[in-house]
Amino acid sequence: MPGPQTLVFLLIGASILLILVVVIRPSITASREGKILAFVALFIVPIIALGVGASEHVERSEQTQFCLSCHIMEPYGKTLYVDDSAYIPAAHFQNHRVPADTACYTCHTDYAMFGTLRAKVEGLHHVYVYWFGTPMDPIRLYHPYNNRECLHCHSGARSFEESATHTAMMDDLKSNKISCTTSGCHDTFHPVEKLGQVKFWKPTE
Amino acid sequence: MLYKLQVSGMLLIVGLVIEALSLCWNNAFSFMSFAVVGGLFFASGLLLFLYSLVASKPAAND
Repeated sequence: MPGPQTLVFLLIGASILLILVVVIRPSITASREGKILAFVALFIVPIIALGVGASEHVERSEQTQFCLSCHIMEPYGKTLYVDDSAYIPAAHFQNHRVPADTACYTCHTDYAMFGTLRAKVEGLHHVYVYWFGTPMDPIRLYHPYNNRECLHCHSGARSFEESATHTAMMDDLKSNKISCTTSGCHDTFHPVEKLGQVKFWKPTE
Repeated sequence: MLYKLQVSGMLLIVGLVIEALSLCWNNAFSFMSFAVVGGLFFASGLLLFLYSLVASKPAAND
């Protein structure tokens, strides 16, 4: 079974062939069948190809490789390999607690109703600022990190629920009154300023 | 009208080629190429085709 990308290429190829029929022999549109063919070739099929291609691009934008393709994100990619379990992104990435190929997206998306859409729109904003504006230095989140994104996975997990510390402040955690990431407990994330001082894990493959 | 069909077809083909090329890489530049450049060609081709439909003169009845 061909993969999604192959199917997209096949669809694009078929679209081009259909359009070429109309471009090379536009006189076929004199007949009713020719008009229908022209409508399918020049409207329906290109829209389907466009939609499928857009969907494929949007899926790819979730990949770690996509995020790190911008030069400014290179140091953040390196922090995923820091050999120190105190660093949350590194510990999650290296132990596959988040999917390695969508590591950035897994944590940096909102798990609300339109969260994934909002994440992608913000991604477009990142691209715009990177190309046409002045990126922040240092880079900061647009909004404080919402505990919901941590609790999306950790809530209900045994080790999390059985921790006395978490139990004592569960209501405050769920209401964001106490932040998972800025309250002194899990405050270590992307140490881009310390890349020269930390050790790195080298995966075997 | 036939000329408009041909031009719209060529615009759509360019848009589809840009889409295919943009899918060969996975980075922000390829995505923006698809969205902006490819999108422009797609939009132009589709709109020109639709315009050719409404702008064509009806065939004369014998």
